[in-house]
Amino acid sequence: MANAEPPKRLGPVVGLVIGLFVVLVFAVVLVPGLRELGADVVGIVDASYVRSALRFTVPIAFAGMGGIFAEKSGVINIGLEGLLIISAFTAIAVMWLLGDQGDAGRMLAMFGGVLASLLVTLLFAIICIEFKADQIIAGLAVWLIALGFAPFGSIIIWGTVNSDSVGSFDPLSIPLLSDLPYVGQVLFRATPPVYLMLLAVPFSWYLLNRTAFGKHLQASGEDPKTLDTAGVSVRKVRYAGVLLSGIYCGIGGAGLALNAGQFVGGGETITSGRGLIGLTTYLIANYNPVGAFLSAFFFAGLDALQLQIQRVPGIELSSTLIGIIPYVAVLIVLTFVGKTRMPESAGEHYESEE
Amino acid sequence: MSDQTGARAGEESSTYAVEMEGITKRFPGVVANDDVDFAVERETVHALVGENGAGKTTLMNILYGFYEPTEGTVSVDGVPREFDSPRDAMDAGIGMIHQHFMLVKPMTVAENVVLGAEPTRFFGLLTDETAAIRTTRDLAGRYGFDIDPTDRIHETSVGEQQRVEILKALYRGAEILILDEPTAVLTPQEVEALYGMFEELIDEGKTIIFITHKLGEALEAADRISVLRDGRLVETVRAAETTREELASMMVGRDVLFDVTSDPVEYGSTTLAVDDLVVEDDRGIRAVDDVSFSVQAGEVFGVAGVDGNGQSELVEAITGLRPVESGTITFDGEGVTALSRRGRIGAGMAYIAEDRQHRSLVLEYDLLRNGLLGCQTLPRFSNGPFIDWDATGEYVDDVIAEYDVRPPDRDTTARSLSGGNQQKFVVGREFERDPSLVVASQPTRGVDIGSIEFIHNRLLDLRTEGIAVLLVSSKLEEVQRLSDRMAVIYDGQFMDVVDPDDVTEEEVGLLMAGERPAGGGQ
Repeated sequence: MANAEPPKRLGPVVGLVIGLFVVLVFAVVLVPGLRELGADVVGIVDASYVRSALRFTVPIAFAGMGGIFAEKSGVINIGLEGLLIISAFTAIAVMWLLGDQGDAGRMLAMFGGVLASLLVTLLFAIICIEFKADQIIAGLAVWLIALGFAPFGSIIIWGTVNSDSVGSFDPLSIPLLSDLPYVGQVLFRATPPVYLMLLAVPFSWYLLNRTAFGKHLQASGEDPKTLDTAGVSVRKVRYAGVLLSGIYCGIGGAGLALNAGQFVGGGETITSGRGLIGLTTYLIANYNPVGAFLSAFFFAGLDALQLQIQRVPGIELSSTLIGIIPYVAVLIVLTFVGKTRMPESAGEHYESEE
Repeated sequence: MSDQTGARAGEESSTYAVEMEGITKRFPGVVANDDVDFAVERETVHALVGENGAGKTTLMNILYGFYEPTEGTVSVDGVPREFDSPRDAMDAGIGMIHQHFMLVKPMTVAENVVLGAEPTRFFGLLTDETAAIRTTRDLAGRYGFDIDPTDRIHETSVGEQQRVEILKALYRGAEILILDEPTAVLTPQEVEALYGMFEELIDEGKTIIFITHKLGEALEAADRISVLRDGRLVETVRAAETTREELASMMVGRDVLFDVTSDPVEYGSTTLAVDDLVVEDDRGIRAVDDVSFSVQAGEVFGVAGVDGNGQSELVEAITGLRPVESGTITFDGEGVTALSRRGRIGAGMAYIAEDRQHRSLVLEYDLLRNGLLGCQTLPRFSNGPFIDWDATGEYVDDVIAEYDVRPPDRDTTARSLSGGNQQKFVVGREFERDPSLVVASQPTRGVDIGSIEFIHNRLLDLRTEGIAVLLVSSKLEEVQRLSDRMAVIYDGQFMDVVDPDDVTEEEVGLLMAGERPAGGGQ
């Protein structure tokens, strides 16, 4: 049968292992003198490294998990990248307008980012669901509009494509737990967006797999007619799925900007493709939010690593070349992922016949 | 006519589970149902028979609230009802089991049964998986259905999927079950099991209506049979008091010949020769295991067997859709084992695929473009590097006229045609290409009786014209009636090649079950 599925997915695991291996070989063979610097490299992977990797994970994981909800409902949202940009810009703009109001102000800025992302997503949802636009084109439009609008807004507010530096989230230590060796250092001295992400992972899994809404979401992407016949409105379910992706991207984008304390509007902007990487994380994970988070962490870890490697003295390799390590790794992993099973009706419009 | 129906059906009981009176349904340009009176007694099995396009499905769509009738009334258990949506009909205890199952494939049986009405816990926050499984298991147990609630749908057989559909309806409180062509996709054993389920359901007080165009099934499984023709109810009769011939003439409006006579024909040279063929299926398991045979020009070579014994893989290997592991295929004296699909079309191999909606037609295309499918590179339909649409149009119009495709309009999409008309179109397209070999796989599956007769006669015409025909079908009587020689396939091997006029059904049945004849193999 064409729809037979392999019972287990070893592909991603094998892919991740091979990806890591290739990156290591790449590093050791191509970078002269790295072996001597082994001690330095090992020294890189300390608690502060993992902490920064987790911070890097925030936008990718939120984009990835959000994308799952949209696509599971049957609407492919490749506008994730654009939504991150919109949210990042709005959050920083709100921060700047408010002035330094402490953590409360930062949460408000985050809320502003989420709201902006949600509004754009609502527009995207209406275009895709009511007017039956091509989802890929509409998603590209979201990205391109954000890519143009955010730097434009920056110029209006700050006079350049980059924002002024505004306050960023400080790490929040959780009493007692943060005193645990290593784990406490890594997990319990993080910034609020990181905590939100760590909570969002199990939340998303439960929402998708253990709630009636999650089942309807999956049915809507697989076989909307069946869901409709069962008396559930496909339209409402799809709106909910897409809007959830907007909320997630809102948190991710605002979290990214508020961790950095600045909006960068040049080039691909501050997000630099993390929304698109988010898209690949859920494909690698076959639409499992936990897997999407792990893939995001893998990528963010490499991203943090390449930044560290650039700082190791004695490495005479172009920083641009080192900078591509994470992207090359994603390519390699994707090669080995094998079968990702897309929801059968993803990308297809549904019109109730009643 | 309808008065007589009422009198006949009213003899035993005064309460009907369903009463539809004076139902007329008009679509733009078509009257699908014309003043139909249809009544179903409680706790009986009622068959609704008729050719494709006779209005059976429209009538049932009205009953379960998918369409509103233009005129007429619907009563359930003696209470007049107006349904605005299937939801209303569901609330009134009417459940519909569609021909194409409404199941979410990656989900489990239990998840599908409760979809849209999930049991929950923690104040409705989370679904109660164990309750869903328990409810499904209890329900299946009560009606004697053999099914595991934790299986995923794509792991289950078609028969099991049908049971899930029935469970879905029962879970939602259905008292009256409507089944649209329930046997179309089932194996003979599964059909028997379905009839068994009907009995269990009747014993539990349910009422069953099923749509079919197979008269044998209506006679075997139903208590009463209503015949529809051209949107009108011809008559409602007791199954015990009628015959197949009587039903057939009611359905078609004239006498139907059930025996197609095939006069012996002089065979020509060998058109297709298959030697020691081995083919693997999608999972890499040997599906065709060392098969050899040949088909002569002017001969119909039949392959009988229960579905899934390697027929699909055999046909795909011959038509060039599946690679061959070992062995050779020779066509018109040339080795074609490695020839591309396009090459084989060009060489004159026509193919009627078993799954017409996936393999033979692009449903969104109109008939003009569907008529060109597969022959877009033939010189006959091209004009230099361009497609010759005028030639294509003429060809398609000829096919539509010759093969009685309705509606006769080359601008309609394939999707809007009924199954029988889709198939007639495909058959016409393939036959009119001047093939020297026709590979016909399940050529009459899901097709109404009038179209079956038509397709059978066309196949025999080809034979008279000296064309070789390879006929693969899971309908034994079809293979037996049309073939000059008949192979029985089991587990990828030919059990025997026999003269269809010379064997009994029992003998063939044993071969189909995998028992080799005492005399030895091929």
